[in-house]
Amino acid sequence: MPDLVWFVIRRLLATVLVMLALSLAVYLIFYALPADPARLGCGKPCTPDRLEQARHFMQLDQSTMQQYLQFLKGIVAGRTFGEGAAAVQCNAPCFGYSFPLARPVTTLILSRLPITASIAIGAAVLWLIAGVSLGLGAALRRGRLFDRFAVGFALVGVASPSFLVGLLAILVFGFWLNMVPVNGYVPLTDSPVDWAWHLVLPWVVLAALNAASYIRLTRAQMLEELNLDHITTARAKGAGEGRVVLLHGLRGVLVPIVTIFGLDLGGLLGGAILTEKVFSMQGLGELLISSVGQLDVAVVVGVTLFSAFLVILANLVVDVLHGVLDPRVGHA
Amino acid sequence: MPEPRKTPSETPVLEVHDLHVTFRTEGGLVPAVDGIDFAVAPGQTLAIVGESGSGKSVSSAAVMGLLPSNADVKGEVLLDGRELTKLTAEELRKVRGNEVALVFQDALSALNPYYSVGWQVAEAYRLHHDVSKKEANARAVRMLDLVGIPSAAQRARAYPHEFSGGMRQRVVIAMALVNDPKVLIADEPTTALDVTVQAQIIQLLEDVQTEFGTALVLISHDLGVVAEVADDVLVMYAGRAAEQGSVKDIFYRAAHPYSLGLLGAMPRVDVPPKHRLTTIPGSPPSPGSIETGCPFQPRCAYTERVGERCITERPLLTPRPGEGNHEAACHLGRRPEIAQEVARTGIQENAAPEGAPLQQSAAQESAPLEHSAAKAEGPLQPSAEESAL
Amino acid sequence: MSTVEQSTKDAIGQDAEELLRLDGVKKYFGLRGVPFRKAGAVKAVDGVDLVVRRGETVGLVGESGSGKSTLARLATRLLDPTEGRVSISGQDVTTVRGRRLRPVRRKIQMVFQDPQASLNPRQSVGTILTTPFRAQGIRPSRAELIELLHQVGLSEEHLERYPHEFSGGQRQRIGIARALAVRPGLLICDEPVSALDVSVQAQVLNLLADLRDELGLSYVLVAHDLAVVRQVADRLAVMYLGTIVEEGPAAEVYAAPAHPYTRALLSAVPVPDPGAARERIVLTGDVPTPIDPPSGCPFRTRCYKVQDVCATVRPVLEPVAGGEHRAACYFPETASPEISRAPMSERTP
Repeated sequence: MPDLVWFVIRRLLATVLVMLALSLAVYLIFYALPADPARLGCGKPCTPDRLEQARHFMQLDQSTMQQYLQFLKGIVAGRTFGEGAAAVQCNAPCFGYSFPLARPVTTLILSRLPITASIAIGAAVLWLIAGVSLGLGAALRRGRLFDRFAVGFALVGVASPSFLVGLLAILVFGFWLNMVPVNGYVPLTDSPVDWAWHLVLPWVVLAALNAASYIRLTRAQMLEELNLDHITTARAKGAGEGRVVLLHGLRGVLVPIVTIFGLDLGGLLGGAILTEKVFSMQGLGELLISSVGQLDVAVVVGVTLFSAFLVILANLVVDVLHGVLDPRVGHA
Repeated sequence: MPEPRKTPSETPVLEVHDLHVTFRTEGGLVPAVDGIDFAVAPGQTLAIVGESGSGKSVSSAAVMGLLPSNADVKGEVLLDGRELTKLTAEELRKVRGNEVALVFQDALSALNPYYSVGWQVAEAYRLHHDVSKKEANARAVRMLDLVGIPSAAQRARAYPHEFSGGMRQRVVIAMALVNDPKVLIADEPTTALDVTVQAQIIQLLEDVQTEFGTALVLISHDLGVVAEVADDVLVMYAGRAAEQGSVKDIFYRAAHPYSLGLLGAMPRVDVPPKHRLTTIPGSPPSPGSIETGCPFQPRCAYTERVGERCITERPLLTPRPGEGNHEAACHLGRRPEIAQEVARTGIQENAAPEGAPLQQSAAQESAPLEHSAAKAEGPLQPSAEESAL
Repeated sequence: MSTVEQSTKDAIGQDAEELLRLDGVKKYFGLRGVPFRKAGAVKAVDGVDLVVRRGETVGLVGESGSGKSTLARLATRLLDPTEGRVSISGQDVTTVRGRRLRPVRRKIQMVFQDPQASLNPRQSVGTILTTPFRAQGIRPSRAELIELLHQVGLSEEHLERYPHEFSGGQRQRIGIARALAVRPGLLICDEPVSALDVSVQAQVLNLLADLRDELGLSYVLVAHDLAVVRQVADRLAVMYLGTIVEEGPAAEVYAAPAHPYTRALLSAVPVPDPGAARERIVLTGDVPTPIDPPSGCPFRTRCYKVQDVCATVRPVLEPVAGGEHRAACYFPETASPEISRAPMSERTP
């Protein structure tokens, strides 16, 4: 499939350009803020002298453009802050260094990613299954009780704020009923059962809220699809209703669902901020929020760029899948 | 060359008696088909002709049991003597695509865009035959080859959008024929196609009919296509049969003002034009808008002549002179005068299509007539043809 | 030949005023290029000369992809030609744009295929009919609008109604009335009856004929239905892959088509007469893609008379048996189809 290969190469080149432009923009914005990260690192009392020292150490005394070029260089070749024994090494790919946390941003992101990914992927699988089956059922029983229930559920889901539902769930299932743990994360590699058990509540809460748009999408697309001529053809060929609905109807709904699913998942992998906060999970979102509070600009820039990269990557994957799923879409 | 005429001894494979279809809608009951009968024998072609809203497509969908759930179907649909309307869903499924198959107007939307054409033809076969995928694929390729798709084995792997309009319609026909059905219902099979491609598809339909002895129900608004392929014709108007008979009965001895109006309204490519086309005033009615009397009455030029009956009494199909079962539903007991005009266009038996017009246009000049059916009144003159009958 | 066709043909001399003239008009639609790949162009119209004189009806026929609708849009300056010249009433309007097109639009108007899509559903018939006047800076009186409606067989009571309250045929009448509002000399009708039922189609064709007689209008009738065109056209131009392959008085072209494509096209049209035994030339295959048309004669890949020379240089329109009837073919048919039958091409399956 040479067309597809060229397509991916072209899109990856475009992605690099977009990331460059985005990183510059993010850099300029965050460094234009009237906050000085060096002030936090200069200790007490913060004399102008020590401030200047801290600035130099963090390489904040250079011009914004120079700092940006240093940042780019760090990605490719790594960076060293300071000199001699006090020097801090940040190996390539270095997306900056967090002085408050005393760790390279890359390391921080990689340590938090598994938690966010566990929440996001598990919830996404749940809401995909629930949303599509409820939407399908609603389309097939259009106007009946089931349809009304599903549509009503979708409406509530779209309208509910996730922190409120999350806190309610913790209160009801965690404290009152005492069924599930209310916080904490156990790595999958330690104990898969505990891993899942600790994640059940965030999964269900996130899934319940996100499933809403999938119900609506699946229902609307399915109703449209079932009205198409080729569905009549399938019936006229002698296909049974199950085959008509699943093989001929649902097949056409796959493309829009995969599109939305890819983008939603890509977005969520960059940090489920509210959910992580509510369930006290140390994920990427939590990292981002606490870094904002600490004026830890290096982490903020790194996590923002990483999230943006995931969204762009999700777009690319969706476009590739689009071509695989729909023979009418060419990648020329 | 035309097929040999149907002999009365030949038993029909598909018979429809007193078919009624009513849709339950939010605005009330809408009758779409209001009591029609037709039959078609193996190897024969019945054309159902009508304009939009005549109920011609609904009738075919009713035969296949393909109407939406808000449709009430009454009447008998007999396939080889078996009552289809009484079958369970599963029994009916086994008939669909197997004994009765459907060819649609728009092949692009009739095919599933996500599956290869070979898969779709093979699926139709596997739904009714317990065979392996490999056997079904081989059968699909044979059918695609039969309907004239070049390098069928290779093209079977292509998707519908990769075919031209004509080739797609061939795929749809291959899919319909893969189970060797007794009856093929073709709903406007060539309307979406260019005229040179239409000629290819008509040829193909005639060829497969000769080869497999399939009974063909052709639904069309194009009288040219109908004249070419039909043995019998049913003219529908507002859900009812206006006239039915052999193709020659309808084209040469039409008795219903609507059939004649349609014939006169068709411009012809093979003879020089007469000055004006015969027209039927107004538009086809929406289904269910006419409840009593003759549905054609508001557009008919003969209502005044016949009188009240047209408005109050529904005309029934009554026998008319012709080859066999020629019937028309009209209170006017004889042929309307516009028959003369229509005959003047060259549609008459044994008329040499290109030779005759010379004479005719001369006649037209010497006796200019007002050709609008709305004004076709005046002294009754039996046409040459009528006196001959 | 019918007396009707003969008389109309006589009435329009060679020296009647030229309303529309197309000289070597081309329209290529570019395909978006991608890196590492050659960008192509759809040659929708590939070198067309056409003249329409006052009082005549030119039928422009062809199958899908022949470029007939694109040509209609080029003639009304809705599209800019890639090459060539468009003249309206003797004035070169190829490069006229924007506001300066208004006086041109007064002379030439368009009637579209789908009246449903070409009428604004939120405007009353009165508003729809006022718009073309406004574009010319005129404020029409109510009497003028009513007169327009009468001309197309509608009445005063229809003025306040909205498009959805009309049948398809009536909507097409409104479309024609709108085109007539600024009193153009030439109407370009793109498939004006193909969306209508047979009985309604005849009404609209008769209306077009009446308007021609009353107002001395000229038409370019773009249609795929050759029977419809025969009913109203004095002159016929047959298009194939963006070029005119045959052109001439309608009666002559219909009676004795010279180009093998015209001959096949005419023979393929079904005739509403079960007794009409006609020899049919069934063409094989489909129309080639206009992105990469065949070298030489565009029709050679489907032609039953093809020879080596056909692949070399594209044949130009040349007179057949003298007169105005011209065909672009190296081996034109000379006899009428009744006397000598064209050899049947291979029948597909």
